[in-house]
Amino acid sequence: MVVSHMRPITCSELHISTYLLFSSSIRIHLYSLTITLHRIGLEVLSLYRRIFRIARSWQAQSALQHDTDSERSYIVQEARTLFRQNQQLTEQESIKKCIDECNARIEMGLHYRNPYPRPTYLPPMGLATQKGRKLRTQQKLRKQAKPVYLQSQDET
Amino acid sequence: MASVILVRCVRGARAVYHPALCLRQGGGGGVRPAAAAAATTSLLARRDFWQQRLVQAPGNAQCVQWRRFSDLPPLTPESIQERVFHVLKLYDKINPEKLQVTSHFMKDLGLDSLDQVEIVMAMEDEFGFEIPDVEAEKLMCPQDIVKYVAEKKDIL
Repeated sequence: MVVSHMRPITCSELHISTYLLFSSSIRIHLYSLTITLHRIGLEVLSLYRRIFRIARSWQAQSALQHDTDSERSYIVQEARTLFRQNQQLTEQESIKKCIDECNARIEMGLHYRNPYPRPTYLPPMGLATQKGRKLRTQQKLRKQAKPVYLQSQDET
Repeated sequence: MASVILVRCVRGARAVYHPALCLRQGGGGGVRPAAAAAATTSLLARRDFWQQRLVQAPGNAQCVQWRRFSDLPPLTPESIQERVFHVLKLYDKINPEKLQVTSHFMKDLGLDSLDQVEIVMAMEDEFGFEIPDVEAEKLMCPQDIVKYVAEKKDIL
């Protein structure tokens, strides 16, 4: 069974970030920033809701009942874990990346009727020896070769 | 043969005003053209049973509904509240002792916005109709949910 579904993104950290922002003195800048963050937060929540709605009416490709059930529970579980995992992100770029990851996985899942993410090969010279896990060039290569829909997954 | 039975049944039904009876007759009448032969024996049995029933309650103009039509139990604000509480108690992140009608999800029960989305999805599943995003983000305590459902289902 392949690894998870990705469902990144934050939510409640918005409250923390807005509080921190307000504690500084640049009010106008803060105001526009909080509006953007609020909008991003709403987008995140609507993505979360969309995933749950997909899971509600999901039918497996094999049309077997136990497959359908396991895939539905997989989708929901994956969404929960990945959203929680990325809840604390604060930079807009990383949040946007997570939103892209989420959208990519939704589209791929709906298109191929398969909620599990497609695994990819290691890049050439990406993990030459066991020591390669720590060496920076190889780490950089692996990070660069990671597709957008696997960004939240760890390297295991 | 079928028409004779039909006439006899209708004559028997006209003696007492009986909405359930009439409906059943109407249903029987619809079925009769389709499966006359198979239905005759059952119709005879039913007619006798009904005549027995009419004899038992001759002057009874009240509706004695002895046939259950497939319909949901009637919705009252109390039943909605019970169902909402039932669903919330099943959610594992909520402490059932702390649950009150006016307990705010985020301030009193310590949930975050992702949990609130999950709760609203659970309510959608329970009551069988979709709640749009704009409305869903305003539902912050069980009281709000009960009011919203009552509004949507046109009760009081």
